[in-house]
Amino acid sequence: MRARAVAVRLRPRSALTVGLVSLAGLVAFGWPLFVAPGAGLTQAGPASWLFVLLLPLLLLVALAEISEGGVDAKAVALLGVLAAIGAALRPIGTGVAGFEPMFFVLVHGGRVLGRGFGYLLGSVTMFASALLTAGVGPWLPFQMLGAAWVGFFAGCLPRLGGRGEVAMLAGYGAVAAFLYGSLQDLALWPFATGVSTSIAYVPGAAVTANLGRFVAFDLATSLGFDVPRAVTTAVLVAVTARPVLLALRRAARRAAFEAPVDFRRP
Amino acid sequence: MKGSRPLHPGAWWLWALGLATAATRTASPLLLLLVVAATGLVVAVRRTGDPWAGSYAVFLRLGVLVVVVRVVFWVVFAAPAPGPVLFTLPSVTLPDWMAGTRIGGPVTTDGLRAGLYDGLRLAAVLVCLGAASALASPSRLLKAVPGALYEMGVAVVVAMTFAPQAVTHVRRVRAAHRLRGRPDRGLRAVRGLVMPVIEGALERSVELAAAMDSRGYGRAAAVSPARRRATAGLTLAGLVAVCAGLYGLLGADTPAALGAPVLVPGLVAATAGLWLGGRRSPRTRYRPDPWRWPEWAVSACGLAAAAATAAGTRTGTPPLPAAALVLALAAALLSSPSRREAG
Repeated sequence: MRARAVAVRLRPRSALTVGLVSLAGLVAFGWPLFVAPGAGLTQAGPASWLFVLLLPLLLLVALAEISEGGVDAKAVALLGVLAAIGAALRPIGTGVAGFEPMFFVLVHGGRVLGRGFGYLLGSVTMFASALLTAGVGPWLPFQMLGAAWVGFFAGCLPRLGGRGEVAMLAGYGAVAAFLYGSLQDLALWPFATGVSTSIAYVPGAAVTANLGRFVAFDLATSLGFDVPRAVTTAVLVAVTARPVLLALRRAARRAAFEAPVDFRRP
Repeated sequence: MKGSRPLHPGAWWLWALGLATAATRTASPLLLLLVVAATGLVVAVRRTGDPWAGSYAVFLRLGVLVVVVRVVFWVVFAAPAPGPVLFTLPSVTLPDWMAGTRIGGPVTTDGLRAGLYDGLRLAAVLVCLGAASALASPSRLLKAVPGALYEMGVAVVVAMTFAPQAVTHVRRVRAAHRLRGRPDRGLRAVRGLVMPVIEGALERSVELAAAMDSRGYGRAAAVSPARRRATAGLTLAGLVAVCAGLYGLLGADTPAALGAPVLVPGLVAATAGLWLGGRRSPRTRYRPDPWRWPEWAVSACGLAAAAATAAGTRTGTPPLPAAALVLALAAALLSSPSRREAG
């Protein structure tokens, strides 16, 4: 129960930009679910590639808008170092089904340092780890946006202390990891199935019908990864919560974000 | 290719995106294989010994996986397709809430071929992007980020520098735990490991921030209020237009004027806002990568391949795209600038 540090201040303008980009991002993830039958974009090919090209640009605009004026040297250094930890943890998870150890850094970082910082931390961590593991591909913008949301909403959680906070963060970690996995599947869906298999989306069908098809696709492919990922993320968040939150809060206090700087002669 | 300077990474990305566009515009498996072969040859000739050069092989394997997965999907979840039936799998129909999906059933040659070609197209696009990430150096690409993203570029560079150090740090702490007879694997060990690693990292970040501050990091040029307002206006108006354009493209009864005619100006406005926002950064670049005729040639070849494939598919002249692909190959191979010319 203490005052929350705000490492990166979200001005109203930045918040508006983040909201608009998130709206467009939601469309980029979920367009197969609610595309209309007579729309200009029903064919699988051009529509999927349109969003692959569109999303990086929108993400760059959002990152530039947040970082304009709001990011000082301390925030950049913290961002870089925490992203390094997340990126270094990522290769550990490749051998185990769905295990994604970097999420606990995002959850704790967003919780302690605020939503703007969480948003930046998610995207920078994903980008750096993609560069380090040679994973730059069409999936990267989707992963960056998903991870940014994980960090952002961790910074939006209500104030709570003690055991309640640990339980809340662990629960949030499980939900966020599961939703992240489902969203990535949703982005993969039109690419993986084409338009004419029985688990592919049907342009113009009701949302519920397409959702049923998506659940079938999800069961066939990656639900076996999403559930273990949610469980391991919750366990990891709960185990590391106390020491990591303490260390981050201490660092945030030492960094003294938002301390007024005055260069006038006394 | 002794003595050649590396090309600007942007040129390789433009070339690869052009080839990838060409791959999405064609349905011919022969052309798709030609695209894969062209990227393979260029990567084999022009790649360096850097660690990221190995990513082409990773993407090639991923492409094979994509083809296999796509074909398996077509076989297992086959929709009824015309053509002679190859074999019939036992079939199950899922309950209604899963949209009555049918699993199994007859597999026809047409369905199998369609799955194979679709997978091949996706694989060709992936291989093109793999070629770009094998040929273009990520650190040079980070140097070329627009000024508005300078802070994020620095954060990524910091992350990429510190990540190997974090791994060494973890190894050192684990060794220390082992020597003291404490557990060094399992959940219990995680707690003991995380604490020293995070503390060490945060300590380093404070030092780094002090070093950056003392070297004058974060100085911004004075930006006039008019320009700031213009940046904000362009960015926000652009994003609103993009959202409206997407709505127009995906909705059924929306007027046609709300689709691409709104989306494209919105994108242009948002990009202009990004560029204008970069003007606040007064930094100069240390040894910037030049953009000379080899860069022009390489990127023009990629884009020519895309344009020729689109034109060839529309008019139905297969030799045109094939010739464009050969051109893409030739220019990428020949345009190896010498050091002397790079000055």
